[in-house]
Amino acid sequence: MDPRRAETGKNSDQIQSGHVYHLALDIGGSLAKLVYFTKNDEHIVGSEKKKSPMKASGISNSSRNSPVLNGRLNFKKFETSKINDCLEFINSMKLHLGGCQQPESPGSQTITIKATGGGAYKYADLFKEKFRISLDKEDEMDCLVAGANFLLETIHQEAFTYMGNQKQFVWIDKNDLYPYLLVNIGSGVGMIKVEGDGKFERVSGTSIGGGTFWGLGKLLTKCKSFDELLDLSYRGNNRAVDMLVGDIYGGMDYSKIGLSSTTIASSFGRAISENKERDDYKPEDIARSLLRMISNNIGQISYLTALRFGLKRIFFGGFFIRRHPFTMDTLSVAVNFWSKGEAKAMFLQHEGFLGAVGAFMSSDKHGLKELLANQKVERPPSKLSFSLDQTQVPQQDGELNGDESIECSVYGA
Amino acid sequence: MAGLSEKPQALGIDQESAEANKNSSSNKKSVHNRLLEKDKEEGGQGGDMSPSAGSSIKRSGSRPQLDVSKAEIQGNVEEKYPTILLPNQSDDLSHLALDIGGSLIKLVYFSRHEDQSTDDKRKRSVKERLGLSNGNRRSFPILGGRLHFVKFETRKINECLDFINSKQLHRGGAESPYADGATDGNAIIKATGGGAYKYTDLFKERLGVSLDKEDEMDCLVAGANFLLKAIRHEAFTHMEGQKEFVQIDPNDLFPYLLVNIGSGVSMIKVDGDGKFERVSGTNVGGGTYWGLGRLLTKCKSFDELLELSQKGDNRTIDMLVGDIYGGLDYSKIGLSASTIASSFGKTISEKKELEDYRPEDISLSLLRMISYNIGQISYLNALRFGLKRIFFGGFFIRGHAYTMDTISFAVQFWSKGEAQAMFLRHEGFLGALGAFMSYEKHGLDDLMVHQLVERFPMGAPYTGGKIHGPPLGDLNEKASDRNSKYLISWMEKFLRKGTEITAPVPMTPAAGTTGLGGFDVPLSRGSSLRSDASALNVGVLHLVPTLDVFPLLEDPKTYEPNTIDLADPSELEYWFTILSEHLPDLVDKAVASEGRTDDAKRRGDAFARAFSAHLARLMEEPAAYGKLGLANLLEMREECLREFQFVDAYRSIKQRENEASLAVLPDLLMEIDSMDEETRLLTLIEGVLAANIFDWGSRACVDLYHKGTIIEIYRMSRNKMQRPWRVDDFDLFKERMLGTGDKKKPPHKRALLFVDNSGADIVLGMLPLARELLRRGTEVVLVANSLPALNDVTAMELPDIVAEAAKHCDTLRRAAEAGGLLVDAMINSSRSSKGKSSSVPLMVVENGCGSPCIDLRQVSSELAAAAKDADLIILEGMGRALHTNLNARFKCDALKLAMVKNQRLAEKLLKGNIYDCICKYEPAS
Repeated sequence: MDPRRAETGKNSDQIQSGHVYHLALDIGGSLAKLVYFTKNDEHIVGSEKKKSPMKASGISNSSRNSPVLNGRLNFKKFETSKINDCLEFINSMKLHLGGCQQPESPGSQTITIKATGGGAYKYADLFKEKFRISLDKEDEMDCLVAGANFLLETIHQEAFTYMGNQKQFVWIDKNDLYPYLLVNIGSGVGMIKVEGDGKFERVSGTSIGGGTFWGLGKLLTKCKSFDELLDLSYRGNNRAVDMLVGDIYGGMDYSKIGLSSTTIASSFGRAISENKERDDYKPEDIARSLLRMISNNIGQISYLTALRFGLKRIFFGGFFIRRHPFTMDTLSVAVNFWSKGEAKAMFLQHEGFLGAVGAFMSSDKHGLKELLANQKVERPPSKLSFSLDQTQVPQQDGELNGDESIECSVYGA
Repeated sequence: MAGLSEKPQALGIDQESAEANKNSSSNKKSVHNRLLEKDKEEGGQGGDMSPSAGSSIKRSGSRPQLDVSKAEIQGNVEEKYPTILLPNQSDDLSHLALDIGGSLIKLVYFSRHEDQSTDDKRKRSVKERLGLSNGNRRSFPILGGRLHFVKFETRKINECLDFINSKQLHRGGAESPYADGATDGNAIIKATGGGAYKYTDLFKERLGVSLDKEDEMDCLVAGANFLLKAIRHEAFTHMEGQKEFVQIDPNDLFPYLLVNIGSGVSMIKVDGDGKFERVSGTNVGGGTYWGLGRLLTKCKSFDELLELSQKGDNRTIDMLVGDIYGGLDYSKIGLSASTIASSFGKTISEKKELEDYRPEDISLSLLRMISYNIGQISYLNALRFGLKRIFFGGFFIRGHAYTMDTISFAVQFWSKGEAQAMFLRHEGFLGALGAFMSYEKHGLDDLMVHQLVERFPMGAPYTGGKIHGPPLGDLNEKASDRNSKYLISWMEKFLRKGTEITAPVPMTPAAGTTGLGGFDVPLSRGSSLRSDASALNVGVLHLVPTLDVFPLLEDPKTYEPNTIDLADPSELEYWFTILSEHLPDLVDKAVASEGRTDDAKRRGDAFARAFSAHLARLMEEPAAYGKLGLANLLEMREECLREFQFVDAYRSIKQRENEASLAVLPDLLMEIDSMDEETRLLTLIEGVLAANIFDWGSRACVDLYHKGTIIEIYRMSRNKMQRPWRVDDFDLFKERMLGTGDKKKPPHKRALLFVDNSGADIVLGMLPLARELLRRGTEVVLVANSLPALNDVTAMELPDIVAEAAKHCDTLRRAAEAGGLLVDAMINSSRSSKGKSSSVPLMVVENGCGSPCIDLRQVSSELAAAAKDADLIILEGMGRALHTNLNARFKCDALKLAMVKNQRLAEKLLKGNIYDCICKYEPAS
C-alpha cells in the first residue's frame, strides 16, 4: 500500500504518534501482511473507556507486574513485489523510538521483528541491510494456526458463512471448536487439520490457489493487479468460456448423474471448439471462469479432505478470498455441492492476517492471549469483539480490508 | 488352438481364394490341392508337400475355407450340429460399434471365424476317445472371432465411413442371424459419444444405417469391465517412465474407481457389471488443458500442445516451495524445494507479458497442474469409498508418458505410497467396446481370459490411414474385390515404402527419459511425443472359445510360463540380437519353402521388414504389446510369418528330416529292444536328449548340420551323453518307472508327451520313448503344435509320421490303431477296433498354439480333455521345458527333458555349458 494513503487513513495518527508497541510480519509470495499494536492515547482510551471491556479492572489485577496498555491491533498489507513500500512504512513507524520491546536499544542497534511466511527468509538480508531490522522467523504454519485459533476463540464475529449474497455470522463455541480444517489460500493452498493450540498437521493442499488465479489471469487479461482481476470476474460470465453439461447434452440436464445443464463440465472447455483467439474473449469472462475453476477446485478438495479426517468445520482463510463475495460464494457452493449440503464453508473476518496475528502472538511478552483468557473469566466472550469497519468495507475492494484494527490491551514490556 | 488353426490372416485370404474360385483354372487347382490334403489327413501317403505353383494361396488343410467345396463338407458333416456359420463369400459376419468423440472416432468391430476343423478325422477320433461331445463342450453362444480396434480423427469422418463401407462392416450385422432384428437397408450400429448424435444423419445418408445411441457412461464401464476381466495384461502402472503390468484377478476386480478424463473428468465407482455410480468428478480436465493452452499458446491442436510440454520447464511459470523459502526445503511439512507451491504463481511477481514466456513452459505447467489435481481428487475419492484400485482413462492421457507419470506421482504422493494409479492399454477404446458389448447375444461377457489371444499384425489398421496399414484412400474399391486388392495394395505399399510405413512402430522412445523425480522439476524428456497410445499397441483380439487352462497346473493363478524375464535390458538385447541374426536364414527358408517364386521373395522381404520393425519397436518399448516374455517374442515371429502368408517355412526341411529319420528308425528300435529294462530306459532318455539337438531354432545346431548326416549326429550326440547331466533326476524317474527291488509301482495310466522338433527329435527320440510307455501299458498322448513353428512337428503331421513308423513296429501300429491314428485301418474296422484292441491307445492332440513355446494357461480344449486322465507329463525341448515351464508345477508326475543349445541360457539357468542336458523329474506332490 502506498504510504501516502496511510497518512490519510484513519490509522495515520496512531502511526505518527509513535506509540507502536509491537509489530509482526507475514511476508507471503504476493502480499506482505503487517499486524502491529498501537497504544491508545490517554484521550482515546478515555473516550472509549465505557465501551472497552479489555480495559476492565480485572486485567490490572493480573499476576503480571507489567502495566497493561490499552490500544489497538492494526492490520495492514503490501504487495510483496513492492516490499520497499513495506520497509518504508515500518521505518516510518520509528520502532526504535517508539514502544518497541527494546527500550535499551539506541538508534544504532538492530531491531528484531517477528516474521513469518516465505519472505521472512527471502527478504531477511534486505531488512537487515536497509534498516538494521532483524527478522525473527516464526514457522508459517504455527503462526497461521495460532492466529486462527486466537481469532476464532476470542473474536465474537470472526467466523461467517456466505451463500447467495447472504453473510451470516456463526457463533462458535470455544469449547467445541476443535478439530477443524483450516484452508489457507495464499499463492498455493495449505490444508491444516487443527486439533488444539499448537496441535495441528498439514494434511493436504493444492498448488492451484491464489497465485494460479492471479498468474493465469495476468497472462490471459491485461489486468495490472489482483484486485482488478477480481473486479473483472465480478462482471463476467463464465458461460462464454466454460463447457457446461448442457453444451454436451444439447441443453438437457444429464439428470441421470445428477448434474444440471449449467454445471461446468470442463473449465475453459469451450475455448477448444471455437476458432476464436484470446482477444476474442472478454477478459471479464475469462476472469470469472478462472475464479470459478479455482474456487470450485479448492472447495472440492477441502471438503474431501475434511471428510477424510472427520472434521466438521472448514474455515477458509488467506489473501485469495479477500472477502470477495463471489469467491466466497463459489467456495461455499462447491462445498455444498460436493457434500450434498452436509458441510458449509466458513470464512474468517481477518482471513488475510492469520499468519501475521500468529507471529504477533508468538512473542510472549505482550501476553495478549493470557489477558484475553483472563477476561473471559469475567466477561462473556461475545463482548470481546472489536472488529471495525465491517459494514463500510466495500466487499469487492480487498485493499480496504487491510486497514483495520481491533481494540485491545496488552502488557507493557 | 482353433483361432490359430484357422487362417492366419484376418483379411484377404478368403477373398483371394474366392477370387481364385471364380477363375475356373485356379478353381480346379484349389480343389485339387484340397483333395490332396484331405487324402493326406486320412492317412494317405500322397505327398503334397512339395511347393506347387498355387502355393501362395494354399493353406494347410485344417484351415477353414469359405469357398464352395467347404460348404459341401460342412453341410454333410455338421448337419446334426445346429451351427453356425453359413459359408460366406463376402466378409465374415461382424458387429460394429462406434464411439464418436470430439476429436477421435473409435471403432471396434468383430469378425467371426468359425472353428470348422471338426471335420478333421484325427480330431474327430480324438474327440470320440476323449469324450468331447462336440466342437465345443460348452455350448458357447459365440464362435471364434476377432475384435479389431481402429481409430480415426473425427474431422476426417469420411475416412471412417469409407473404411466401414469398404469392409461392409455395416452389412455384416444385417446378414448375420445374430443381428438385432436388422433388416437390409435398416441396419443399426451401436454408437456412443457426443458424435453419435451429431453425425446421425451423415451415417444414414452415406451408409444407410441408423446409429443406436448408447449411454456414454454405461459404455465406459462395460468396456472397462470387459477389458479388465478378459485381458491378462490390460492394466499397468506407470511411474518415472517405467511401465509395469498388473495382473488382476477377475474375481477380485470390484469395486474400483474409474476416472475418465475427457474434456471434464468423471469419477465412477464400479461395483460390478452394470453396477456403478458417478461419485465425483472435476471440471478441471482435458478441456481445461487444451482450452487454456490454446488461449496461452499458439498451438493448433491438442497433440501439438502436448508435444510442446515435452520441451518445457515449469520452473519459469510455477512458484516452487524453493521460490518462497529461498531455495530451502520446507522439510517440516515434507515438501521439497522443487514442489510446486502455486501453479502459475511465478507469473505474478514478474513484469513479464505472456509473450515473454515460452509456450513449452506454459504447456508443461498446465499439464502438471491438471494431472496433479486429477490424481489428488481421484485418490481422495477412492479413499472415501474404500476403493483399492484407481484406473485412469480417457482421451487426455493418450498413452502420454509424462501425463501418466504425473498422475501416478500425485496418487502416490497423497496416498503416501499406499495407492497406485493404473492405466489401461485399450484406454481409448473403453466407450467403443462398451457400445459393442451392448449388442445382445454376442455372448462376449462370458469370455474368459484364457480364451483371448492378442496379436499384433502389421496389416491391421489401428489408426486409420496414419500409423500403419494401407492408406485408406485405397479402400475405395468395389465391395466385390475389395479384400484381395486390399491385401495386395497394402503389401505393395509396405514393400515400396519400406521403413516409411514403420508399421506399429511410432516412434522415438522415451525410455528412461520420462523420469520424474518426485513431483519435482521434471528431468529432460524425449524430444518426441508418444501421444495417442501408440506407445501401447492395441492388437487384434482373437476370441478363441475352445481354449482352456491346462487342468494339471498346480496353481494356474501363480503360473508364469516364461522362465526368462525380458524386463532385464541385457537379456532383452541378447535375445533381440539372436532373433535378428537368425532372421536372414529364416527368410531364406521361408522363401525356399515356396519354391523361391517372385511372390515369395516379395513376401519374404516384407516379412523381414515387418519383423525387424516389431523388434525395433519392442527394443524401444518392451511393454508395447503387453508384458513381454521370450515366449511372446518367439510366437510373434511365427505370427508375423503367417501374416505374410508363409504357412510353413520349414516344410521341406521337416519332410526331409522325417524321411531320413524314419529310414533309420527300425535299426534303432532293434538296438533298443536288445537291451535290458534298465539300460533301455536310460538309452531312451539319452536318445530323447540326444535327438533334441536337431533344432533349427538354435544357431549352434544349424551349424552342426553341415557336419554330418542325421544318424551320425544322433549317435555322436548320444554317445556324448555323460551322466550326471546338469540336472539329473533320472534315478528318481527310473525308480518310479521300474521300482526298486521287488517293489513295483503300477504303470502310469496316461502320459502326455509334449513333443518338439520334427525329424530325429520326434522319430528317434520321442517315438521310441512313447513306444516304451505303451509297452508298459500306459496310454500315450502326443501333444504337438496346432500350427507350424520353426521345425517343430505339428499335430497334423504326426499321424503320417506315426503311420510310417508303425510299418516297422507292431507295438506302435496297434497303439496307433487303437488311438484312431491309422485312419485307413479304422475305416475297415472302426466299430470293432475300439472294443477289441489289445493295445492301449496312442493318440495325438494339438496343443492350441503355433509357437515354439507353450503357455499352459491357453491350450486347446482337446488337450485339456486329454489331460483329464493323465498322470504323467513329459515336456521335451528348449521351448516347452526351458524357455517356458521350467518352473511350472503340476498336479501329476512331470518329466522335463531338454538339451541346452545356447551358451548364455546354459550359464544363466544352470550355471553350465552349451549342450548340457536337463532331466528334471518332479513327482506329483
